[in-house]
Amino acid sequence: MTRNLSGILPLSAVALSLGGYSMITAADLQSLDDRALSEIRGQSGITIETDLTMTADKLSYYDDGKGVHLEGMRVGSSEVPGQGAFHRTRIDIGSDAALNLEYLVEDRRVEFSDIRLAGAPGVSMGGIFFDHSLQGTLTLRQQTAGGNGYEFDSAYTMTGGRLGYRTNGNSVFLDDITMSVEALDVTLERVGQTLELTAPRVTGSWQVGAIRYSSDPAIYGRSTDGNGDLLPSYGGLSGQYELSSTTDISAGGRAGEGLRFDNETTIHSASFLYHDDGHSLALRDITGAYRIQDLRLDVDQDWRGRPAVALTLGRMEGEFEVGAIEVGSAGKSFGAFNLSFLLEDQVFGGRNYTNALYLQGGGHADAGAQGLRLAAQWSLRLSDLSYTEDGNRVIISGLQSWGQGDITVNVTRDGVQGGTRFYDGLRIGFEGLEAGYRINGMRVGSDDAPLQGGTELLLALGIYPAYDFTLDGHMTLGAGGASGEGLTINSDIHIRDGRAAVIAAPYDEGNGEQPQKGLWLTDMTYDGHVRNMTLDVTDEGLALATEESWSTMDIGNVRIGNGVDGESLGRLKIQRFEQGSTTLIKPGGAGNVCVGGAGASASACSASGGEWEMRGDEGVTIEMKNILARAQSSEKRNSLLWETNRTVDGQGQAVNGSGTRLVLDNIYTSDGGDFDGDGVDDNTYGIQTDLSVDVYQTRVVKKENGADSLGVNGARGDEKIMDASAPQGYRYVSSPSEADRLNRPLGFAVKAETRFKELTINNIDLVHPVGGAQTAVFGAVLQNVNIRANLTATPIP
Amino acid sequence: MIRLTCCSATRFCLLFMALLPALAYSEMSPLGDDALADVSGQGGIYLSGDISINEMGGPVQNNYFGRCDEADKKCGARFAYRLKQDGGWMVLDEIRGMFAFEGLTLRVRSVDSGFGGDGALFDRDVIELGLPNVVRFSDVQFKIASSSTPRPTDPGFQQTDIFAVEMQGDVIMQGNLLVFPDGTP
Repeated sequence: MTRNLSGILPLSAVALSLGGYSMITAADLQSLDDRALSEIRGQSGITIETDLTMTADKLSYYDDGKGVHLEGMRVGSSEVPGQGAFHRTRIDIGSDAALNLEYLVEDRRVEFSDIRLAGAPGVSMGGIFFDHSLQGTLTLRQQTAGGNGYEFDSAYTMTGGRLGYRTNGNSVFLDDITMSVEALDVTLERVGQTLELTAPRVTGSWQVGAIRYSSDPAIYGRSTDGNGDLLPSYGGLSGQYELSSTTDISAGGRAGEGLRFDNETTIHSASFLYHDDGHSLALRDITGAYRIQDLRLDVDQDWRGRPAVALTLGRMEGEFEVGAIEVGSAGKSFGAFNLSFLLEDQVFGGRNYTNALYLQGGGHADAGAQGLRLAAQWSLRLSDLSYTEDGNRVIISGLQSWGQGDITVNVTRDGVQGGTRFYDGLRIGFEGLEAGYRINGMRVGSDDAPLQGGTELLLALGIYPAYDFTLDGHMTLGAGGASGEGLTINSDIHIRDGRAAVIAAPYDEGNGEQPQKGLWLTDMTYDGHVRNMTLDVTDEGLALATEESWSTMDIGNVRIGNGVDGESLGRLKIQRFEQGSTTLIKPGGAGNVCVGGAGASASACSASGGEWEMRGDEGVTIEMKNILARAQSSEKRNSLLWETNRTVDGQGQAVNGSGTRLVLDNIYTSDGGDFDGDGVDDNTYGIQTDLSVDVYQTRVVKKENGADSLGVNGARGDEKIMDASAPQGYRYVSSPSEADRLNRPLGFAVKAETRFKELTINNIDLVHPVGGAQTAVFGAVLQNVNIRANLTATPIP
Repeated sequence: MIRLTCCSATRFCLLFMALLPALAYSEMSPLGDDALADVSGQGGIYLSGDISINEMGGPVQNNYFGRCDEADKKCGARFAYRLKQDGGWMVLDEIRGMFAFEGLTLRVRSVDSGFGGDGALFDRDVIELGLPNVVRFSDVQFKIASSSTPRPTDPGFQQTDIFAVEMQGDVIMQGNLLVFPDGTP
């Protein structure tokens, strides 16, 4: 029996069924003899069965004489090495002259061992493998509605899928993929010089059982290790979607030959879930739309003349809405998010930025010959990000971002190579990444609400209102959390030439761009290290536990006013060293709160002089335990240094270490004694902070008589009430009614509790540049502290 | 160095001045909301709320610290420091209380006008802490003491209480606290 028919028909059928984007590859066909023909069954068509094995040393694509090579290509069985993958295709011609294909593919593996670029010898982007079984149908017919192209319906189910990326013997792969897709009334036609693919409705659902990692070169494309145990997992994914799209494909790259893509997609509904040991983080009720204009694919060189596959973008704009972000079995939600964005060329800081990605081989130089290097440049011209919880909405308005540099991707294993320490996992590296972002301001309620200040409220989430920096380092994502599935993160980050705003005014108040005035941390370097930080989804929320972390932030100048040459308060150096710290991020805010009084009910609260606030079910609660460890070295310690009166160098820059310094050194927490008898004070309690954040209406009173900064009149003590009919969107009311109270301004409401058993500052020194260090305080100990706060923070214009 | 300047002097500001004698202080007239309309670099945040310290007690449970309903235990926070190696400890003990305020503002602004003509001469950027009109103190208390050891549970612990402070009621705080650099950074 001859079943080694090279499979153009099933391959092309599958390629088209996957969305019609793949090019149909031609292969030599062998003639079927009579005996083989006798194997073909089907009363109303033909059935072709094959065991497909295909190998190719190299597949090359050339663009203006520059090539990219897919090496070590193999198609065959994913389960039995060396054998073919079974294919069966039933072909039928319908009464409407449509070509009907029913296909079945069992345990097929498609793989490339290397992807290389001509002109970059010795390095590759790494290898890819894709295992799958497929069953589906494809109906292809001549377009009927006035066009001269084709219409097709496609539906398929994929099971047992694996999609892996492999470098230097280590691999990360999506395991146990199942997917069902249905695309009906898809049209493919030529419009002028453009191939137009229109999919009016595509629906699908998918699931990734686990994302696995292997550092054993012998474990390749399998779910288990040599002992038969499952490989460690990052967790699983699942989702569903319904979308429609139009894609135009035309010839011509950014320069010379190449391809151009234009696309418009509308997401009618979608969901995305991350699964970790039976718990899930769910993004539900996703809707949105985006439009890609002038995306070009070339084989070219990047801005440093390095050979690359170039993806360059003219413009992309879109908007996404996530209706709810839920964690845990109770379905509690953080709230809803909305993101609108425009990616387009823009000048930032006198330099033109575009959106481009140059894919190259190599990755990190010490990680081995295989890896991916992404020379990237981006220009986020404008973006708004809004957060809505319990119906209250705040908008982070006018977010812009820019950057250029190299990002490397390697799958690495634990050890030192070429002087570089690597960790198990997927390593994302940063090399000379010059980047920045800035936020114009806040809006509350609606997109057209007046621009306000208040971006400094984001500091509570560790986000500066504006920041530009040069970044080097890595973040390695290992498989497996504190127990079972999850992530283990190791990172070493170095930032130089940093400039971050702690307080920042808008960069554009409607009259063109202006320098952002604020409080700036400038001439900043930052060295941060994290070891074995686990991230898990639990039934309560997102749990992080860090074995050890230490960092040094050295701020050359704390400036007021302009971030470039504003007056300086001096130098600030902050060192942190923690061991065993944890964080739990939970959905749901503070609930019912008595602000300014005490009481568990509205009446009791009011009787105590407080304000009873019902902040709803949504929001964010963060529970942190920070264990500050005793100093171990000059880098691993908790300290705070303030330096002034420095000498200046030939360029007029202050010289760090040349001035007078105040040092709070060796700050650490303790449980207040050695209770386990090991001779060292216990340190397990740390500083525990529970922080609940809601977007909530709050009482804002006028502080002076007369007109305010926007010319709205009121008396001292009057309350600010939002009123869309008022010229500035609000008015002042001396005695607000119940209806007025419902229109109080929105802001962030924070309920916080911080407690610790003992916090020690070992010594406070004054350091003179000539006289040296003198200890001023020989120890300061703070014990038995519990601080509770109910604060509302409202942006002001 | 940092210079703090308090416009529309208040008890709060004077307290700051007392605690930070090296900081310069100068009398300035209040700047109304209408005058602020001429100030560039607008924006900022408005804070209200309450802060309580050891309302029900702290996290330590031993023979010295306990809950506030345990009559024989101390439930406040304790701060001890010493200025001499191997010396005794100064202590702020039994620190408790609640502060409630409304309308503390924070922003950066340029002062280049107003203040009776001084603003134009000043012409600098400042951090402005807009003081709340009223801060309500509820059962704010602490005790000044001297102690032989930082922890009351350490062997040989001896403590001499010197005096205790209790505060109750409203404190009026008007005006702004301005922070700006001065001297060589």
